Amino acid sequence: MSNSHDHDHRPPAPMVDEVSDFEVLEVAVRELCIEKGLFTQDDHNEWTEYMHTLGPLPASRLVAKAWLDEDYKQLCIDDPVKASLDVGIDWINTMPTKFGTPSDYCNPRILVDTPTLKHVVVCTLCSCYPRPILGQSPEWYRTPNYRRRLVRWPRQVLSEFGLQLPEDVEIRVADSNQKTRYVVMPIRPEGTEGWSEDQLAEIVTRDCLIGVAMPRADRKADDKRPIHRAVHPFGH
Amino acid sequence: MSKPIPLLEQIGKDGRVWADLCEEYGVDNPDPPWRITLESTCEVLNEGACVLPSLERRDEEDHIVEDHYKHIPHPERQLLALAHTMILRGVITEEDLAQHMKVIEARLNAV
Amino acid sequence: MSSNHHAEKATGIGDPQCFKGEAGDPKFNVGDRVRIRNLPDIFYTRSQMYLREAEAVVVKLVYESPPAEDEAWDNTDSPEWFYSLLFKQADLWPDYPTKFAGDTLETELSERWLESV
Repeated sequence: MSNSHDHDHRPPAPMVDEVSDFEVLEVAVRELCIEKGLFTQDDHNEWTEYMHTLGPLPASRLVAKAWLDEDYKQLCIDDPVKASLDVGIDWINTMPTKFGTPSDYCNPRILVDTPTLKHVVVCTLCSCYPRPILGQSPEWYRTPNYRRRLVRWPRQVLSEFGLQLPEDVEIRVADSNQKTRYVVMPIRPEGTEGWSEDQLAEIVTRDCLIGVAMPRADRKADDKRPIHRAVHPFGH
Repeated sequence: MSKPIPLLEQIGKDGRVWADLCEEYGVDNPDPPWRITLESTCEVLNEGACVLPSLERRDEEDHIVEDHYKHIPHPERQLLALAHTMILRGVITEEDLAQHMKVIEARLNAV
Repeated sequence: MSSNHHAEKATGIGDPQCFKGEAGDPKFNVGDRVRIRNLPDIFYTRSQMYLREAEAVVVKLVYESPPAEDEAWDNTDSPEWFYSLLFKQADLWPDYPTKFAGDTLETELSERWLESV
């Protein structure tokens, strides 16, 4: 494994050079499941391939397109499945199952913010999330802390995310407890006049699409979130 | 509170979490490479045979993490909770898992 | 929770789209005031405890589907209408700050959970 003396002198990218117990555990659990016939390697591979394609970019583009085109914005409201197709996401047909994923279903809904209405999304029951168009949910979204507190103390939770809104703005918590999966369409921020769709999409981060942040002309990435433990005793 | 599972307690105690590995090796991927395969495992367990339907698993995951793995970061805690649930439900045994892990460790570390 | 039977029905069409037309006429319309019934939970429910007995306004008829309580047992024979309901936070939580009286919560329930006010 010696490096040859060629014209490329960049050092190789760092990589983790050891196998952790967790890596071993993950393989063991998976292979035992396959051995016991709970699922097949093929099924698992199909899901893994599908999951690798998922991320928040399509949803960012959907919002950017809507900001630039009133007709498309209306389509996002009237027919979100069709609007999703326009950003390359097919809620029905590209899933491994060909009828939507068991956890995500096929009923996306776009929640449109206005200057006096701010949406924020949670799933109190189990952390359902619009994965086909938004990718994997962030860890903080899945915690009992977020799920239990957002419905009851939304303004407090949002201010912990750095978002404080005046009294005359209605905060509407959307709890996705059934088959609908919500994506928030925030209002377009100031300082973005004349921007292209690509430029606009860059500032619509995942946290903006969940509703815990508002897009800003100067921000292209979400802040790192600490994981809080639930304040109140577990179980109710 | 459910009983701890010694094998998993051990892994939780001695296993090196991704955040530590990243720091040591200077890697900045936010997730370990097995994170997505773990998600896939949860997904395929949910469909078809319905061995572990989503809502129940998530609820159990919350309780199990709270009882046993709250000091462990994600996604390691999700992995431990899944293994724990499966052992509790008798889908796999602790012995099988330990045995299988030995085989895999040898395989993955073979030069 | 997809059984093979369900998969055939939904392939290429989507879930909940595949149940369109099966729930009959909706009992409630947009704008109706409803109260959330406190039905006994047997095992499996997707109707949150914090909603029980609260009042809400129907804002959207979202889709037809077997209710989660039936679907959990693989019973997809009797789809119901699902409604998106808008609650005032002040009606859900006794200590919700009065200066934020405009704050709301939106969530979905199937028809069996609703009664007229």
